[in-house]
Amino acid sequence: MGVGVDLADVKQWPKMLPGFLACLIFAWIGLQWDFYIIGEMRKGYREATAILKPYKELGKPIKPYEEYVKDKEDAYKGALTLYQLGIEKVKPSKPFVLKKADYETLAQTKEIPFKFAFGERMNQFQFTYVAFLLLGGMLIRNTVGVPKILQPGTVAARPIIKPGIIILGAYYMWSDVLRVGAVGLVLVVVFVVGVAVVISILGKRAKADDGLMGLMGAGIGVCGVSAAVAVAPIVNAKPRDFFYAIGTLLLFGTLCLFTFPYIGRAIGMSEPVYGAWVGTAILNTAQLVAAATWYGHEALLTANVVNVVRIGFIPVIVLWAIYYYVVRPAKAEGGEVKKVNAMQVIKEKFPIFILGFFIMVTLSEFGAFEAFQKDILGRDLVRIFMAIGFAGVGLNIAFEDLKKAGGAAFGIGFGAATVKAVLAAIVVMLIGTEAFRIK
Amino acid sequence: MAKISKEFEEKAKTTFSAERREDYVVLVIATITVALVLLGVIGSGFFSSLFIKY
Repeated sequence: MGVGVDLADVKQWPKMLPGFLACLIFAWIGLQWDFYIIGEMRKGYREATAILKPYKELGKPIKPYEEYVKDKEDAYKGALTLYQLGIEKVKPSKPFVLKKADYETLAQTKEIPFKFAFGERMNQFQFTYVAFLLLGGMLIRNTVGVPKILQPGTVAARPIIKPGIIILGAYYMWSDVLRVGAVGLVLVVVFVVGVAVVISILGKRAKADDGLMGLMGAGIGVCGVSAAVAVAPIVNAKPRDFFYAIGTLLLFGTLCLFTFPYIGRAIGMSEPVYGAWVGTAILNTAQLVAAATWYGHEALLTANVVNVVRIGFIPVIVLWAIYYYVVRPAKAEGGEVKKVNAMQVIKEKFPIFILGFFIMVTLSEFGAFEAFQKDILGRDLVRIFMAIGFAGVGLNIAFEDLKKAGGAAFGIGFGAATVKAVLAAIVVMLIGTEAFRIK
Repeated sequence: MAKISKEFEEKAKTTFSAERREDYVVLVIATITVALVLLGVIGSGFFSSLFIKY
């Protein structure tokens, strides 16, 4: 995920600062878009629709603004009293009240103001902050370009998705993680490891280059770029192979990212099922999290668990690569078999940030967080971290990089990834929503 | 060619160790965030206070 700059190298921070600040500003604009257009303007649309309803359906006159405000306040006070008396359990939120100018325009024209209708339309198109930042970032990168001084910082912003993944753990109980994780584990083993193994075997049979097929197997199977980087030294990958493989992975991931949310809606996938699908089919954590967030919060909760299981498999794939490309040929040739310390490999290649996620789930299990704190961590702050990361992802989707996809990697990798995505969609839909729902 | 492959192998190893260090940074960021929420520094109104409202 963070290939390119070393976030932990303090000496590199001044170099990263300008781009990182640019990502912060861009992320804020994206969240402001979401807050105002998708949130407030959409509320305005609902409010305006409710105001117009008696007029349109029963021909009743629209009441004066002062009367409208008083009715809203009275309704809120009534709901608050019921809550204070313990009759209602959920505290009512303050009502959304139209501004006088908008109300009067509505009363005169009997039409919903454009800005409210626009908010509703953007919500229908799912054009949330995720789409805003990814498409906007991609547009900037491929038209005006990102100045060189900003580039290291935009790359450094991408891993900021990871703290989001960790603190999202506040929303889970171990029972959820184990239940959804168990199904996720089966999916990972069947699809993810299956694909990695099949690509390696097919590649060998087709006499394709070991390095290339090892990279594609790890990349398509497990965790895109991270797995490919982990496997590259073991399979003696050539630089050309590495760039072909990464290009193919990025191209596939980018296509998935922008199409899966719409495919999911078109075929009526519930949020948990969609989360399980993207968790299995999309190969890169950042793209997967973005595609899930785009669909909805429930989708993100499920996708996060499946993703944690999937990336936890990186050491397994590395062990497979060692066996398949190093130990097995050595045995076949009757040569000396290099001893492999499996525990050492697991220790070295395990993505340790997911331990943070497990700690959060444990804290949640022991009641460390009150409900409002879970909301602050799992919704508000997750959005902020994700937005910064998505700003970095969007600003780094360069068409030139995607064009690097090519050679044998493209056909085998793209075909295998597509077949995996289609089969995974069928399987998760057959398994059904309840198996993947985080309660 | 052998030299290029060796250099590339080294680069891949360096990149992976950078990713490992990146994970530590990420864990620190997450820990600070959780501490700020538990201490009440970041409260319920924090998120909406960042944005321009209707």
